[in-house]
Amino acid sequence: MAKLFGIPINQFMTATLVLLAFGVAIMLVLALRDRVTFKLAVRNIPRRRTQTALVVMGLMLATLLFSASFATGDTLTHSMRVHAVDQLGQVDVVVRADVRETSGRPTYFDQSYVDKISALLSGDPAVGGVAPAILEQAPVVAPASRLSEPRVDILGLNGTAMTSFDKLVDNTGAVLQVDALGAGKAYLSQEAAKKLGVKPGDTVSIFLGSRPRNFQVVAIYVKGANPADEVSMVVPIAQLQMLTGQRDKVNSVLISNKGDALEGARETDAVVASLKPALVGTGMIADPVKKNALQRADDNGAVFSDIFLLFGQFSIIAGILLIFLIYVMLAAERKRELGITRAIGAQRSHIIRMFAFEGAVYALMAAAVGSLFGVLVGSQMVRVLAGAFGQSDLKLAYVFNWKSVVTAFAMGMVFTFVVVLISSWRVSRLNIVRAVRDVPEPRAERTSRSRLVILVLALVVGLLLTVLGLRSDEAFTFYLGTSMIIVGLPLLLRRFGLPDRATFTIAGLGLVAWWLLPAEALQSIMPKMRQGIEMFFLSGIVMVLGGVWAITYNSDLLLKLLVGLTGRFSNLPAILKTAVSYPLQNRFRTGITLAMFSLVVFTLMVMAFIVHSFSSLFDNTELLAGGFDIRAYTSYSNPIADIRAALTDVGGIKADDFEAIGSMTVAGLQLKQDGVDAEPVNYFIQGVDREYSDSVTYEFAMTASGYNSARDVWQALQREPGTAIVAANMVPAKSNYMVGVQLPSFQLGGFYIEDKKLPEVHVTARDLRTGREQQLRVIGVVEHSAFYARGIMTSQGTLDSLVSQSLPSQAYMFRLKSGRDAEAAAKALKARFLENGMQADSLAAEIRKNTATQLMIENLLQGFMALGLVVGIAGLGVIAARSVVERRQQIGILRALGFQKSMVQASFLIESSFVALLGIAIGILLAMGLAHNVIWAMSNDLGGVTYQTPWSNIGIVVVVAYGASLLTTFLPARRAANVYPAEALRYE
Amino acid sequence: MSTDGPIIKASGVHKIYNTGKVEVHALRGVDLSIWPGEMVAVMGPSGCGKTTLLNVLSGLDDISQGEVIIDGVPLHEMSDRKRTRYRAEKMGFVFQAFNLLPVLSAVENVEMPLLVAGVRPGAARERAREALALVGLAAEEDKLPMEMSGGQQQRVTIARALSNEPAIVWADEPTGNLDSETSAEVMDLLCRLNKEKSQTFVVVTHDITVGRRSRRILRMADGRIVEESRPETG
Repeated sequence: MAKLFGIPINQFMTATLVLLAFGVAIMLVLALRDRVTFKLAVRNIPRRRTQTALVVMGLMLATLLFSASFATGDTLTHSMRVHAVDQLGQVDVVVRADVRETSGRPTYFDQSYVDKISALLSGDPAVGGVAPAILEQAPVVAPASRLSEPRVDILGLNGTAMTSFDKLVDNTGAVLQVDALGAGKAYLSQEAAKKLGVKPGDTVSIFLGSRPRNFQVVAIYVKGANPADEVSMVVPIAQLQMLTGQRDKVNSVLISNKGDALEGARETDAVVASLKPALVGTGMIADPVKKNALQRADDNGAVFSDIFLLFGQFSIIAGILLIFLIYVMLAAERKRELGITRAIGAQRSHIIRMFAFEGAVYALMAAAVGSLFGVLVGSQMVRVLAGAFGQSDLKLAYVFNWKSVVTAFAMGMVFTFVVVLISSWRVSRLNIVRAVRDVPEPRAERTSRSRLVILVLALVVGLLLTVLGLRSDEAFTFYLGTSMIIVGLPLLLRRFGLPDRATFTIAGLGLVAWWLLPAEALQSIMPKMRQGIEMFFLSGIVMVLGGVWAITYNSDLLLKLLVGLTGRFSNLPAILKTAVSYPLQNRFRTGITLAMFSLVVFTLMVMAFIVHSFSSLFDNTELLAGGFDIRAYTSYSNPIADIRAALTDVGGIKADDFEAIGSMTVAGLQLKQDGVDAEPVNYFIQGVDREYSDSVTYEFAMTASGYNSARDVWQALQREPGTAIVAANMVPAKSNYMVGVQLPSFQLGGFYIEDKKLPEVHVTARDLRTGREQQLRVIGVVEHSAFYARGIMTSQGTLDSLVSQSLPSQAYMFRLKSGRDAEAAAKALKARFLENGMQADSLAAEIRKNTATQLMIENLLQGFMALGLVVGIAGLGVIAARSVVERRQQIGILRALGFQKSMVQASFLIESSFVALLGIAIGILLAMGLAHNVIWAMSNDLGGVTYQTPWSNIGIVVVVAYGASLLTTFLPARRAANVYPAEALRYE
Repeated sequence: MSTDGPIIKASGVHKIYNTGKVEVHALRGVDLSIWPGEMVAVMGPSGCGKTTLLNVLSGLDDISQGEVIIDGVPLHEMSDRKRTRYRAEKMGFVFQAFNLLPVLSAVENVEMPLLVAGVRPGAARERAREALALVGLAAEEDKLPMEMSGGQQQRVTIARALSNEPAIVWADEPTGNLDSETSAEVMDLLCRLNKEKSQTFVVVTHDITVGRRSRRILRMADGRIVEESRPETG
């Protein structure tokens, strides 16, 4: 991983290490100056080892999340880098024409350019070699085996110029000489040979035009053909020039920098700069292929790390709550000791220092364990990802970078320690007399002037944020402001006598109700605001806060109900009463634990709801495929002139099998939206034929005025020259919950997809080959669910006029007659058009495959988020362990009053269950409510998304979270049950 | 309940605590008999074994040797489960440190033994209220222990001890944490209830004024009962 949050990892690591070193230095100086306090603090650690283990487990989670996210990012970066280097080898820069031919074939240029470039770079110390090359892609057929490959990279190389590049090597390690190949001879890659079922001596046919050219395979190479994919073929450059009719011409100049495949990339900028003067005005560019590929690898790795960190945020917040809870409990446990320490002259700063020293040791242990354990968790995450990427060429190999582990450790340590310091400051504020006598602290003073000022200020800020949000259409600002008002008003009334229960019930329920107001109802009274993933986090935190308040201040009603319901069961009311009264009275502890559970469960459940509801969309392949069954591409090197005519009953497939066949042409053009300040972008436009327009069933998210239906727009595309439609992801959206999704490079601006009515939008398309410009009028924005209508589309006639020639069709969409099998038909099409390099896929099968991959990644993300449950579970464990110590005497009383051991144990287990189940219930219920609104909003953009309850996910979360909570509290509960009453009663 | 013999009978009771390094012989052959309806004070200096005696007689602790018969039933032979059940049904406790459950209100504390004994919640609440009224705290039933004075807390403890109408009430230093005036009030209450309810009260105390309010005083020293007397007033 090269970047984190957009900052280079080296800088990030240095910054966190400096921060860490600074903190450690301060702690060391303080420890040396105040050894007594340090000893007092540190001796607490080995005192209660189980508790220490629980504390470390709770504290390490944030570090673990950091470390696991980084390890996943490292693996992806590394694997993509390996993939890039595999394909490029020693090739660092490729000089080529900026624009391809209209057919998609690479543009050829005079071979004399190679000499010019060689001369220019001859003295450059960074350059290792320059070589001419022809890079083509064509279908290849093996007549003997009847096997074919639709896309094989064909490399035409000059052996003598390739000395500084990779050597072609066979599986014995022998080097294969390109120049030794005679006419009609070729080398084939191992992967190509496998797919085509050929061996040395066999013949293969290449379709670089409508007529096949035969080559005899002389040898099979295992590596060295660069730049090319795994499925490739190498022939002498002169033979390829002959084959393509491009005598004395090439389409690429390969440049290798000095150094190995990775080191060489570092010199790329200098080499490209040296080339620049020679390329100006020639229509040629120096493409830094290696550097770009490595950059993409780094960026994609960083995106994965960032996504995991982003979704781990709730767990990190839960982790903060746990640290705070642990400190409050440690302070409660040592209250008397702290009071006495203060009474004999210790300052508050000593107490802060004492907790800070202890916390620093915990943080150190937790960061070390967390960063290492995160590496293990990361390896498991990569295993899942490897499954998800199983269908692609990318092979994931687990690696982790020591820099990432150090960064995770330093980040975790700094993060934990900062929270520890704040917690230490908080717990140091104790009243000496009350502490010595172990009397509970009184409720916070309601009448203090400073609190009133803060309250009024918060209300004013809330009001300002609300107005600002409304004016700027920013949902985050607006909802933050309104939430502050909803909380602030009851708190203000509390100062004038409103009871606590009413205050926090109004504030809590108010927040929940406000955030869960049905989106349908709000739509009519509220403007559509800009919102993104940050709303998910704000809603989670605010609603959980509201839910926890409402529950903790009213759970006595729940207790009454429970006792009433269980009255007829002997002993149960007594057990329930003790079990539930403790968490009811300790609202702070209970509230924090509830919040930890609820937050994590809430995020998990919202995610599960969304994934589940989307599955209904993915099941609707008819909708996603736009009414088609098969998608097919042909090679630019041998397109099909007339597909219907070619579909005679050869290979078991005929034109009659199809209800509709939509054809598409494609051309690369330079696009710029008129009236918008943006750079022109090179982009491919698709031209669709009338049959496509007549058959496609995609609907539109926006249409220009004058068009009443989707059919109107599709037909106007053919009827009205100069019109175009665009994909939904080319238009800005106010609601954008996408994370890590790459948008097309060409984007429209000046309106939002939520506007529904498309304004007048014009795009100027420029043909770089001729310099000719033409304006396109955008008449529709296809809805998001149009999975196979991506980019920008126009009619074939319009596209032909844009490029001043008639383009051959290169892509097809087929609709089968009912009863025909799409997968069998796709297979038959491939066989029928193998010399055209046709790749045909059943759309339903493709959607299922993509959905499965996506589902695996989403499940992984959910699994990662579920790590946060460890926090809640550790929290319950800490509370249970502490409760046994704290209530030893009370356990003695209960035993004296007739509580059996089993009743004491049950009481402790029910107490934990009460908190865990309430937390889980709050999380699930809030998620149900929020998911309703989110899915409703999404269904507006994506027809086919319907609210579905993920019962299996709910079941898993309830069973796992609750089961683990019970396991964690089982030991403390058993210890409580074994407390000997006579001893406990003596314990004062 | 048998009325012929003693309700509490201890014979040759020894209790040895083994702390790993040293053995502490807390009781060295205690013999005693207490009759139904009696109010007996166990007195002696600190560390003489008063509380240990109360613990073993009430079944809160095991004995090392000897036998403890409660109402004709050998308590020392019972399993922990049976002994706990027996305690819930037959005994009530009043402790020096009040030992109320801090998270329960006064009425909830008082109803707890009833709920443990399997009384339905509604009936338990009714009886707890009656018990609180008996100790003069009807108006304070919803208060948490921390919201009450020491004397009030001890009266709640007494109400709790009596709510289940036990045969025996064990009181360990019931006035130890109270001022003299409140102590007197609490003792008045205990004596009144002893008379009205005819329950057996065993009061461990080092306060002679408390001892004088009982019918019989058992004096302990070094783990043995060394003297038995009957105060003039009681």
